Amino acid sequence: MTRPRLKDVAWLFFRVGNTTFGGGNPTIAVLQREFYQRHWLSTEQFGIAFGLGRVTPGTNLLAFCAGTGWYLLGLTGAITAVIVVTIPSSMLVIWLTRVYDQGVKHPLGLSIASATIAAAIGTMMGASVLLVRSVFSKTNWLRPLVIATGAFVLARVFALSPIVIIGVAAVVGFFWVE
Amino acid sequence: MMNVFLLYLLLLKATLTSFSGLASLPMVRHDFVERYGVLTDRQLTAAVAAGQMGPGPMGLYVVSVGYSVGGIPGACAGWLAMITPAFLVIPILRFIGKRAEHARAKSVTRAVLMAGAGLLLSASVPLAQDAVHGSLSIAIVVLSFALIAFTRVDTFWIMLGAAGIGLLAFQF
Repeated sequence: MTRPRLKDVAWLFFRVGNTTFGGGNPTIAVLQREFYQRHWLSTEQFGIAFGLGRVTPGTNLLAFCAGTGWYLLGLTGAITAVIVVTIPSSMLVIWLTRVYDQGVKHPLGLSIASATIAAAIGTMMGASVLLVRSVFSKTNWLRPLVIATGAFVLARVFALSPIVIIGVAAVVGFFWVE
Repeated sequence: MMNVFLLYLLLLKATLTSFSGLASLPMVRHDFVERYGVLTDRQLTAAVAAGQMGPGPMGLYVVSVGYSVGGIPGACAGWLAMITPAFLVIPILRFIGKRAEHARAKSVTRAVLMAGAGLLLSASVPLAQDAVHGSLSIAIVVLSFALIAFTRVDTFWIMLGAAGIGLLAFQF
């Protein structure tokens, strides 16, 4: 494998992380192609970083960037990858939040904001279906369904705190292995 | 205004107990809307919308939440809370490695992921009750839900399409 320079690593993560729309999976797919073309990571390293990124708390994409950055250039690579992926898009999000705040004061802006907020709610509901589908299969459907439905009922009907429900789910997962 | 350190800790609690970008939302709503009352449901939904309009991970909405609650220092706290858990992957890679793929460890992670799905759906109900009124917004919710759940259409295009519908609805 080729050991890259820091500025090349920073540029790659900056370019891919801030120009690929659609969240983590499309970004990881583009990064995978770029790593292979440059001979920066082995298939095994990519696979481990991808797999462990999914079991690390928080945003999967950022854990994946920290993991692959660490493989490439150690802690410096991990910090660089996470910073260049998140700073520009965070600044854009702050600007968009300000646009929303200002936009809702005008009738046209309110109409556009209301429509996009409705779309955001639809995508939240869709994202919950995608999460369940990510582990759903013909041989493994009862467990995901019971846990997801159980969490929904505990939250909506019994108004339990999310942290309590997550704790209950972890205990269930420990004893009810797939 | 909420103390920035407390803001960071609350957002960190949400990101540390979730395994996907939007899965932290129920915890964020519980703490900021219900417990402390420093954010409205409408602001939270607008934060999610802002996070989905740009490139980058879904978890970016946390930066917008931080900005809405505490201005630029709050946005910095949100950004830090978003990136902090990512560095946990380094000790996991160094010391645990393939053992994290152990059946029981994966089972616990997936169970938490599934609970996150149920909680996300639960948290979106009051947000919908607050923001969705009239047949047009109901249609947008249903359509965007179907596009996300059953197709591979990018969320950016869904948000852009919704903005276009909002523009047309104002014109006509």
